[in-house]
Amino acid sequence: MKPYLALIRLNLRLAVRERAVLFFNYVFPLIFFFAFGQFMSDGNAGAGPMLRVIPMVIVIGILGSGLFGAGIRAVIERETGILRRYKVAPISPAPILVASMVTGWILYLPSVVLIILLAHFAHGMPIPERWLSLLILVTLASFAFRAVGLIVASVANSVAESNVLIQILYMPMLFLSGATLPVSSLPPAAQIAAQFMPAAYLNTGIQHVMLRSEGIAANLESVAAMLVTIALGTFIAMKLFRWEKEERLPRKSKAWVLAVLAPFILMGTYQAWTREHIAESKQLDREIRRNHTRLIRNATIFTGDGRVIPNGAILIRGGRIAEVYSDQIPDPDSLRADAVEAAGKTLLPGLIDVQVGPGGDTPEALASQLFCGVVAVGAVAQQPAQRPAGWSGAELVATPAAPTYIPALAAEEAALAVARRDPGPLSRTLVQQSAFSRDILQRTALLLRNGGIPPRTPEPDPARRATELRRAFELSTPLLLGTRSGEPLVFHGPSIHRELQLWVQAGVPASAALRAATFDAATSLGIGGRTGAIRKGYEASILIVDGNPLTDISATERISSVIFKGERIDRQDLLSQK
Amino acid sequence: MPPAIDVRGLTKSYGDVHAVRGIDFTVGQGEVFGLLGPNGAGKTTTVEILEGIRQRTSGEVKVLGFDPDRNAAAIKDRIGVCLQATNLPDKCTVAEAVELFSAFYSRNADGDELLKRLQLWEKRNASYGTLSGGQKQRLALALALINQPQLIFLDEPTTGLDPQVRLEIHKLIEELRAEHRTILLTTHYIEEAERLCDRVAIVDQGKIIALGTPREIQARTLGHSRIEILLAAPLEGTPPVECESLTISADRRSISASSSRPARTLADLVKWIDQQGVELADIHLKRPTLEDVFLEITGRRLRE
Repeated sequence: MKPYLALIRLNLRLAVRERAVLFFNYVFPLIFFFAFGQFMSDGNAGAGPMLRVIPMVIVIGILGSGLFGAGIRAVIERETGILRRYKVAPISPAPILVASMVTGWILYLPSVVLIILLAHFAHGMPIPERWLSLLILVTLASFAFRAVGLIVASVANSVAESNVLIQILYMPMLFLSGATLPVSSLPPAAQIAAQFMPAAYLNTGIQHVMLRSEGIAANLESVAAMLVTIALGTFIAMKLFRWEKEERLPRKSKAWVLAVLAPFILMGTYQAWTREHIAESKQLDREIRRNHTRLIRNATIFTGDGRVIPNGAILIRGGRIAEVYSDQIPDPDSLRADAVEAAGKTLLPGLIDVQVGPGGDTPEALASQLFCGVVAVGAVAQQPAQRPAGWSGAELVATPAAPTYIPALAAEEAALAVARRDPGPLSRTLVQQSAFSRDILQRTALLLRNGGIPPRTPEPDPARRATELRRAFELSTPLLLGTRSGEPLVFHGPSIHRELQLWVQAGVPASAALRAATFDAATSLGIGGRTGAIRKGYEASILIVDGNPLTDISATERISSVIFKGERIDRQDLLSQK
Repeated sequence: MPPAIDVRGLTKSYGDVHAVRGIDFTVGQGEVFGLLGPNGAGKTTTVEILEGIRQRTSGEVKVLGFDPDRNAAAIKDRIGVCLQATNLPDKCTVAEAVELFSAFYSRNADGDELLKRLQLWEKRNASYGTLSGGQKQRLALALALINQPQLIFLDEPTTGLDPQVRLEIHKLIEELRAEHRTILLTTHYIEEAERLCDRVAIVDQGKIIALGTPREIQARTLGHSRIEILLAAPLEGTPPVECESLTISADRRSISASSSRPARTLADLVKWIDQQGVELADIHLKRPTLEDVFLEITGRRLRE
């Protein structure tokens, strides 16, 4: 034990005297912290971006300390004959390697604490609930990458060579691990390549602990990846250890390096095959986006339950509506929120379709719904179809039975178009936009013209249905909006907007129609306590449109943005999911 | 008492390069033994095999009763080593180096006392990078003594040092000898071997070409002692004495002879000169040095 402690003590003393060590462990991560913190929050100091910045800074720090810190220093000690002096003392390589790993960890850990405290005090980020798990994960990772650095040192024959090898490891891990660029933003091939990198598992692990307050036990994959790296790395660094620069590395022992990579090659192959980890990364990415704090201001707000705020604002934090302001809109900086200007726009609760028809539970249908601002749909006694992990789309609520009265004017109109072989509904803008493939629209049009779609019996009668609806409204019958989308020419997503227009044409006031498609729909589906209205504490699932649908209902189709559970949805990405 | 070092038929090859080609010697306890030879003779390789940091190709080796290929750790714990071409981290202080190396061994000398003895006490807080060559070498010696070793390996301990420092180190080695420690010294300085070593092995091209006390080696060789005689008056005639060569200077006042039996030749010469009635002004007898021995056996000079 004595040689271990003595070497650690000396290493620490030397490190404190070495400016480069302090720079890499403290100054460098701080520069990244401030630079990325600034860059990601678009100038606003919010806690949300910290969830992305901190794992990034930690991964960069650990990679730097491990690869550069351990990798290059060990080579210098060999080149200058320091290790040669140790060689004649009765010690094995073990104390030298272990001391290097422990020293790296002791030097790096305070830097993590410093960054978290900075994020807490400067950006209002809460101290991670599972801070102990975070430190354990950082500890394991620090040892693991130190071990990788030591292997590089054993393999490299000179400082220059080790520099090259380290860059070869460092650069891809930096850019592909998800630490600097979110995995979902990478091209598919790079996403698969990322699955072979130990740093990717570290990144996921840190995000889990920070974002979901998960403990170490819930992150066995990350923990196992790090433990395997530590064990194999130390073993191989011992095997390949060279005391003197004159010692040549037998070529076959370079094969040991492949051994340390083997678990990652296996894991990577498995992940590339199942895409579990890719999906997981995307999911985490989404959760980070949902944690963004935003103040959407100067908008007309239709709250869903009939109330309208002419010039209000809402604060979204942690995926929920944190506050609704009807006057006295506060300064976004004081809330640590990004301001979103919404003058001339209207905020509505995300739309809800109480009854979707055939195929409405498929991942593609749910993605199209969300594209069109529909955040939840009801489907009768349907087992939700399996969604690929990480898939984004509207929420599917299984209901035991359909509501007794669903006007479904759009479905009636579509049935008439089928009977008349009229491809008109296919050319509606939102239909064109939300279609997963242009091909389907063309084939449907062709099928329709050739009479390939059988007309419905009894014969559709939109005018009579419209009259029924107006009468129901006049009799104060509770109204719910459903589309039965999935029937011929009734498209998942766009049809809810057509339905709203037909209701207004039939004589129902816009506010009543919208209430039937938001607040009342949510209540009917049993999700009313948390969604369907713009209220404090509700899920931040919001549709922002240009203009005011209360005066011109077709404004609902002019979608400015869709926010789903706090996440500002990239609508084009929805339609390119695989 | 078993010998401290026992080497039989030691060879070491690096592929086709044969660095050591069959070396035999023993070093008794308390003895100062020198390996003398030019650079590249195989001295350092031999010493490193004994220290347990290099594997031999063949032969039998025992150091303090242990085989270095099997019990390197036991040997390393008991020996002191001062290597060529080693370093310590530049920013490590003298006291820290002593503290670090103390932790490596099962027995320790008093580090403070060691630093005082090696005149490093004032430098104890200086970092390694700021030390002079002599100070670095003294620190290396301090580290070699940190485990109170009975057997000490000194590989070219004075190479590259100025004469003043070299003398200091010679003094220290003499002190260590007085403490009855066994020392194996390699050097390519003749004076060092002649002054310090009880016995010397002359090594060349991986083999021992002569072994014994410095005096024995000198005596055993065919090398000739030189006799120089200065006369008070010019001499006439040629002295009829047995010798390998004899020259008389142009002014016939000095005679120079070389002989393998210098005592006999000198006696004959003095007797003959006396018979000629010439006064002797001065007589010099120069015995052959190890350098001459090396030159005679290999036809080359040591320091080339």
